[in-house]
Amino acid sequence: MEALWSDFALAQRTSDGYLLGTTISPEPPKSDPARLYNFHRWTNPGSLQTDLRYKLQYNPNLKLDKKEANTWLDIFTAYYNFTTTLLAAEEAKNAQRPREADWSTVYESWKNVLNAVIRAYQNEMFEAWTIPCLYIVGKYLRIFAIKADDNAALAQRDTDVALGVHDEDMSNSSSSRNEKLEDAARQIGRIFALCLGDRSPLDDSRKWALYYIANLSFKTYFRLNSISLSKNILRSLQAQAPGELPELSAFPRAHQVTFKYYSGVIDFLSEDYKAAEEKLLAAYEMCLYSPTNTTTTTTSRNRDLILTYLIPTKLLTSGLLPTIALLSSSPNLTHLFQPIAHAIKTANLSAFHAALAANEETFIKRRIYLTLERGRDLLLRNLFRKVFVAGGYEPSAAGAAEGVVTEKVRRTRIPIREFAAALRMAGMAEEEIGDGEGGVDEEGVECLLANCVYKNYMKGYISRDHDLILISHLDDDDDDDDDVDDDKDDGKLEQQKRKMSKKW
Amino acid sequence: MQAAPAYTAVAARHTLQRPATIPIKPQKVSWSPNVRLYVQRAFEPDNAVQGIDLPAMQDKLKVVITNAAESGQLETIDWSQYPLPQHLIKEDRDRAAVYGAHDPLLTNINVPIMSSPAGGAYSPGLSSKKRKNGDLEMSDAESRDITPPGKRKNTKGGLEDRLTGKNKNQSKKEKKAEAFRARDLGANAEVLEKRRQRFGVVGSPEPSSFVRSRSPSLETPSSGPLIGTCQKLEKSYFRLTAPPFPETVRPLAVLEKALLHIRTKWKQEHNYSYTCDQLKSLRQDLTVQHIKNELTVKTYEVHARIALEKKDLGEYNQCQTQLRALYKLKLGGKQEEFTAYRILYIIFTCNRSDMNNVLADLTPADKQMPAVQHALKVRAALASGNYHKFFRLYRDAPFLGPYLLDMIIDRERLAAMAAICRTYKPDVSLHFLAQELAFNSDDSDGSDADAGPRQCLDFLCHHGGESFIERKEDGDVRFAAGRATAVFEGARAAAFRGIDAKPRK
Repeated sequence: MEALWSDFALAQRTSDGYLLGTTISPEPPKSDPARLYNFHRWTNPGSLQTDLRYKLQYNPNLKLDKKEANTWLDIFTAYYNFTTTLLAAEEAKNAQRPREADWSTVYESWKNVLNAVIRAYQNEMFEAWTIPCLYIVGKYLRIFAIKADDNAALAQRDTDVALGVHDEDMSNSSSSRNEKLEDAARQIGRIFALCLGDRSPLDDSRKWALYYIANLSFKTYFRLNSISLSKNILRSLQAQAPGELPELSAFPRAHQVTFKYYSGVIDFLSEDYKAAEEKLLAAYEMCLYSPTNTTTTTTSRNRDLILTYLIPTKLLTSGLLPTIALLSSSPNLTHLFQPIAHAIKTANLSAFHAALAANEETFIKRRIYLTLERGRDLLLRNLFRKVFVAGGYEPSAAGAAEGVVTEKVRRTRIPIREFAAALRMAGMAEEEIGDGEGGVDEEGVECLLANCVYKNYMKGYISRDHDLILISHLDDDDDDDDDVDDDKDDGKLEQQKRKMSKKW
Repeated sequence: MQAAPAYTAVAARHTLQRPATIPIKPQKVSWSPNVRLYVQRAFEPDNAVQGIDLPAMQDKLKVVITNAAESGQLETIDWSQYPLPQHLIKEDRDRAAVYGAHDPLLTNINVPIMSSPAGGAYSPGLSSKKRKNGDLEMSDAESRDITPPGKRKNTKGGLEDRLTGKNKNQSKKEKKAEAFRARDLGANAEVLEKRRQRFGVVGSPEPSSFVRSRSPSLETPSSGPLIGTCQKLEKSYFRLTAPPFPETVRPLAVLEKALLHIRTKWKQEHNYSYTCDQLKSLRQDLTVQHIKNELTVKTYEVHARIALEKKDLGEYNQCQTQLRALYKLKLGGKQEEFTAYRILYIIFTCNRSDMNNVLADLTPADKQMPAVQHALKVRAALASGNYHKFFRLYRDAPFLGPYLLDMIIDRERLAAMAAICRTYKPDVSLHFLAQELAFNSDDSDGSDADAGPRQCLDFLCHHGGESFIERKEDGDVRFAAGRATAVFEGARAAAFRGIDAKPRK
């Protein structure tokens, strides 16, 4: 118990914001696991005020002036009430009675702590170094809101079953399901506004909390599935004049990575893939991860998250597929993306569809399904390229002089039928390619080729009179043709594609 | 001498009830044969409704007849048409169950109506609450002054009777509601009586013993949602600026007939403005009475279909939004059809995030439905730019899909043209284009085989392609695709820009 006060005193003396934050944290520090329990036992509601006042105002170790002490009094009073509710809830949970754990009250009491802290800032009682306290209140507010909502949903379901109501959808409408979380979102918005409106000079400003709070808002809004609100946050941050807000790079790395990740995802969802790629890449590179560092499991998860969005983005912007080495670092990613990547590389349509369907739910949940679908275009391009390659070379120009090395030129006039055959082999559904009588729907194949050309994956033109497509070879690097023989080598293939995609 | 006692002895009361001065059931009144028939019908096992037991039905019957007798409507009410007690109970329960739904849901449902340009400004969820409370307070005050004691005693007795019956059914959660009711017991009974008489409504909406998961403040006892009395089959639509009078609102039975009437008239006359007007007023009546049942679903579906036919996307969108909420209430209806429409509509608006959400909401059962599968195939085809497949699907669209697809077919044709121009050199035959772009005339009209190509020609010219059309000597018409790239690329870009969509490159 004393540890809390000594920490507090130390924090005040050394202006250590993070340490200060731990004193009002719902989670006891590792060095003092029974802290909350002890704190709760240390006093009772009757003598709460006097005990606290003794500790805060008349403490020889602390040098707080009266007003500040009063503020802390409020905060610790709220904190005390909070520990009561938290301990009750945790007890219920530990005693295998999770339904009785009243997280709702926990949330409300924590909200009181939050209000007390906010009031402190509004009254300009706290200096900027104390902002980790805001971090703590915000972070746990969200967590408790989620817990409270989950509990409410469980309780609702219970009563529904008891009363024999079957309209679960009606009573579990999303608005009631996320009631506390919506409230939390509003509170976090309050903190955000509080930090934003700080007029003090930058050295001593609450604006340093902005990115952390913004990240908290993002997490909350994403869970609530309201991307538009997230955009508001982005906009208000961008609206800050350059002198008012420090550059993102000046903020702690953790804030930066998270922020870049979320704004990258927001761009992704708004289909601004160029911007998304930029941000996600930056986040990825900055993310604290090294393959050898196996102790930090949390950072690996962050990296996975970033990659979950970065891979589809790259697929779309540059037609690049993730290497096996990259995917193998995380079993999750391998499971998700490896089949698709493989299918695209080997231009196997049926495998591609199977891979998409296998993880469809995850993809849809993450909103990357539609983007990954576009991989099909890449796949078709690869397929057509294979046909082109498999076509062999033109018979060498007649009458070439001996000794003159004529450059081998690939056959450029390819009948549409060959593409149709390739499509069939690759597993395209019969209904798509057949014309209903066992033949080939030539127009369908032409359409696919036309799209390839249109999207700049191929250069050429179709002649219906001759049922061929003429692939232009004029711009091809002859070097490329030679390399293409090494189809087996995956690495080279990547390089190859990169060259081609750049060219085209 | 014994002084007279300083008090006056009064016999102690033995019962809570004061002696009723007016009998609840006027036994002296002779029942007309209509009433008797009604009672008979109510008791018939064929008419029994599941979930409503006999005592409850009997109670309700008693109430209905009592009220009719008291308000002197025994003769005037058409008993042969009047809904049976069990039906009334079922209505009340449905209404209360839905009325007891969480407020945001209600306001969500009401919002589209409010936000539409011609939509009712009346928000039943909110202002009706206010009105009821206001009514209660107002009539509360006056009832205390005006009502003669006799009348008060009477209704108190009646209400108590009913309430004791209900006590057995109440769940724990209702204890709170009960406390609230008990507080204003006497006054409330007054209010209800007066209201009932004012509106001439005989079937009073009783507090339902069904599920109640909300706080008592949401449900004022027995003063449930508005019940209309208007019997007119046709009614024009007027935007509401204040709570409507019950005389202008049609009750459920009339609304059902009205819907049938509107549908028949539509089939005969196809007068869209009239039909739309009627349907909107129907919807309005349904909303102000908080009716959410199969009829509501049917009304919205009918209106949506008619709006689609007439390409009124504003109305269609409103109906679609409402239907989505209604389907969640599991009231039945043509979910397959309208899910498919929804997907096609989102394709039309190029709303990526909505599409994401819809896909996330689709259940595996949904995906089995052929219409939904068709819509998903359309989406897939358009996503990959496969215009060929798209035009095939266009021809096979089920239900009223073609109307929705008609909205996008123009821009898709331009997209296809852009791709074709880029790829096909030097030229293509007009027939090919007509075929690809689904310009075929109906098969039934075999005489005019050239109609399709002609329409195609019109289309090409309309977008600036006249200069590229060449007539060859053998009568074949060719389109110089190679040279037309720029024109159609521009046309395509313009078409897609209009929707604020990103080109699917």
